[in-house]
Amino acid sequence: MTTTTERTRAVADVVPAPPRKRWSARRYLVGGILVLTCWAMLSPVIWTAMSVTKPTDVAFLNPPVFFYQPSLQSFVDLWQTTQFYQYLINTLVVAVISTVVALLIGLPAAYALARMPGWISAVLLIAALIFRALPRFAVVLPMYDLSRALGIYDTTFAVAAALVAINQPFSIWLLRNFFAEIPKEVDEAAMMDGCNRVQTLVRVIIPLMGPGILTAGIFMFLFAFQEYLTATILTDINARTVPVFIATQLGQTLPMLQQAGAAAMLLTLPVIAFAFIAQRYLVAGLNAGSVKG
Amino acid sequence: MRRREFFGFVAPSVLVMAGLLVLPLYQTIAWSLQRVNYGETGTFVGLDNYTHALTDPRFGQAVLFTVELTLVVVATLIVLGYLLATLVNGLGRSRPFVLGILLVSYVIPQVVGGAMFSWLFNSNFGGVLNFLLSTLLGQDILWFASTWPNRIMVALNTVWSMLPFAMLVILAGLQSVPEEVVEAAQIDGAPTWRLHWNVIIPTVRGTLGFVAIISIMDVLRAFDQLIALSPQAVQLGNESVMLYVFNVAFQDGGQQLGLGSAVNVLLIALICLMLYPFIRGIAREARHA
Repeated sequence: MTTTTERTRAVADVVPAPPRKRWSARRYLVGGILVLTCWAMLSPVIWTAMSVTKPTDVAFLNPPVFFYQPSLQSFVDLWQTTQFYQYLINTLVVAVISTVVALLIGLPAAYALARMPGWISAVLLIAALIFRALPRFAVVLPMYDLSRALGIYDTTFAVAAALVAINQPFSIWLLRNFFAEIPKEVDEAAMMDGCNRVQTLVRVIIPLMGPGILTAGIFMFLFAFQEYLTATILTDINARTVPVFIATQLGQTLPMLQQAGAAAMLLTLPVIAFAFIAQRYLVAGLNAGSVKG
Repeated sequence: MRRREFFGFVAPSVLVMAGLLVLPLYQTIAWSLQRVNYGETGTFVGLDNYTHALTDPRFGQAVLFTVELTLVVVATLIVLGYLLATLVNGLGRSRPFVLGILLVSYVIPQVVGGAMFSWLFNSNFGGVLNFLLSTLLGQDILWFASTWPNRIMVALNTVWSMLPFAMLVILAGLQSVPEEVVEAAQIDGAPTWRLHWNVIIPTVRGTLGFVAIISIMDVLRAFDQLIALSPQAVQLGNESVMLYVFNVAFQDGGQQLGLGSAVNVLLIALICLMLYPFIRGIAREARHA
């Protein structure tokens, strides 16, 4: 069922074209199904957006209210009555720190793994693969114990450090697959011109890796931004992140619940914009991150 | 690349993973053999935690629920992911826009997506879907208080959040199907379903297998969405394995940390077993290099 116009044309050169009407009917059908799918996929977000812009007294009324005077009061309340600002800052600090550190230590490792085949690399890559699939609690519960012992429980530092380690295996695989696409001859040429390994990596290879690094960075940021399990175990009140905040508000009553919805929208809107702007990188990362074993 | 350089380059990453992944993992294995609480030195109890886990009916129920959820969700993901990828693959200029919309549920944190789903279904909060369904059926479905509706809601939410991943990877697989093969089948007059079943699906079999393995491992670790969607998971028998670990090893002050650790170890063993084909592939590649 190739509906790409070029392909249809290529086929049409050889076989008599199918009746025009049938094709357009099929196109309408496909379009209709896709529109419905998109609508279904977006409906939880749309309904949340509606719930949080309703006046508080009708926000969660049953039967639901469909026509109302939109208001942004819940966002104002969220900002004024909760520590949302602090949680947002915490989330961003954790995401930025863990992304930068993960890239700084992941880049040279991934480069080395891409350039030196052999059993040491294979062992490291297999270890990374297993770590990536690990049940989080197997590492996060000991981290909780450790952070208590070290007195860094409930700090953004502890969460960021945990996330650097947890996301390291994924970023190494992703970056290594990108590095592998750069021919070895590039390295050899740079070293012929007098660069050492570090200079080759920093001056020649990394500039070539722009999109790959951006992709890895986007994924690290997204994972840290989304992380709930690690943050809920390692934080209490000071270093709480937005997903944890939203989860704790769920058992609450009306004004708080609507504020949780407002927080969910504030967290969601930037990542939705992101899905459109950085789509190319997300798609590339999902494919390069795959294990080609 | 010289060996010394290699070690220099991988050292920071290996140190971080050794300190923050291998050591905690070692701790988990040690705890799984102890009766212990946070901040204490435990007492060695041998395999007691394992026998406890394997004979605990609540754990059995958690395993059953997790496996059922995994089977249903992964099968749905493969079928829907393939259909959706095929439709998107035929798109022209509208493709980036449609992909952007379809990616939304992937970038939303799972626990937040779960919260959004709960507002769609919960009659206490005027959930619109629940309202429409109860008007249609003439009776209220207890999405949060009865076992099967709750399972359906959790499964729907899990599919919702993982479908973009499945769709995108399959889409990339579809692009590697040689056009000549498809055209040849079309010239031979193969009907659409035969074209897919006999030509395209066998070609992207590897991709579908990859999506299946990754999704299986992700659903086996289901946790975030249950926090939002199944506050009564234990009473309903809708506790996942990870939620069970959380409940016994953290929630009530870590009373049964050893038990939770034992479950973690069992799950790790299972995951290693499932990763075996990939591990063998990497090892083979290394031998040939």
